[in-house]
Amino acid sequence: MIPSMNRNISSPEGAWFGDRAVDPSEKTGLVRGVFDRVASRYDLMNDLMSAGVHRVWKARFIRDLNPRPHEALLDVAAGTGDIATGWRSSGGGPAILCDINEAMLSQGRDRAMDRGKLSGMSWAVGNAECLPFPDRSFDAYTIAFGLRNVTDIDAALCEARRVLKPGGRFFCLEFSRVAILPLRKIYDAYSEAVIPRLGALIAQDRDAYAYLVESIRRFPTQEVLIERMERAGFAFISYRNLSAGIAAIHRARRI
Amino acid sequence: MSEPDRKADPKLLEILVCPLTKGPLRYDAAAQELISERAGLAYPIRDGIPIMLADEARSLEDDAPGS
Repeated sequence: MIPSMNRNISSPEGAWFGDRAVDPSEKTGLVRGVFDRVASRYDLMNDLMSAGVHRVWKARFIRDLNPRPHEALLDVAAGTGDIATGWRSSGGGPAILCDINEAMLSQGRDRAMDRGKLSGMSWAVGNAECLPFPDRSFDAYTIAFGLRNVTDIDAALCEARRVLKPGGRFFCLEFSRVAILPLRKIYDAYSEAVIPRLGALIAQDRDAYAYLVESIRRFPTQEVLIERMERAGFAFISYRNLSAGIAAIHRARRI
Repeated sequence: MSEPDRKADPKLLEILVCPLTKGPLRYDAAAQELISERAGLAYPIRDGIPIMLADEARSLEDDAPGS
């Protein structure tokens, strides 16, 4: 038998899979299933859903991150590798790409191979809540469009802090809360009506994309995420809204 | 699938620890496994990618060859 992980799932998100109440022990597997099913179409879907804007957000994220050649990056929920690739091509040091989903990760590794961009990148399947890395190992930790899908967000934040060196920086890019009310209404209507249909059309998986929309709505707002980062022991916490808060970059340091 | 024997990055294997115990791992190159004695688990390496998840790991107690 596998030893029990002895974790208390404290994050309120743990009990929800999108809008469906689930046992926290089930959520991790359900989310993995979503990404297993959509892995091969994930990048195309992101482009269609956001009209390409996710590329602009990621570019901003990399610029804020300010990669340096001697620094080591851990990119969690690395998926197909956009952030680590951006880090490397902007002069960042070695990057480890970690994701709970094997299908997404090998998709990204194959893509890096095809483009001849393997150097300085390595891949490991792992869970953001219990990372397979020693304490104080990395200069930078990134998680882009990943924290929302983690069962226990607070555990993931504590693990992020643990693996960072003192002075190391935490960067999170995630869908967030639209700051302007009329815009929020339009955005909600768009995401509820259009995204699952696009998912059905392109990835042949309406449910997977319905999950994505619902998980965005349930994710903590900018201010609540800041409180939870504080609780995880981070310092110098701040955030920047992107596209009026459709997404946000949260950043902090381990001291 | 076209390149079935991709090797895991040796530098990565050096840094990895057991996700449960955060203790050291022993690399079994023949079996393509990373063994955590303390957790009693062997983590598989598939297609050069270490799978560091307890629920994908082989339990050493259940089917150890006997020592």
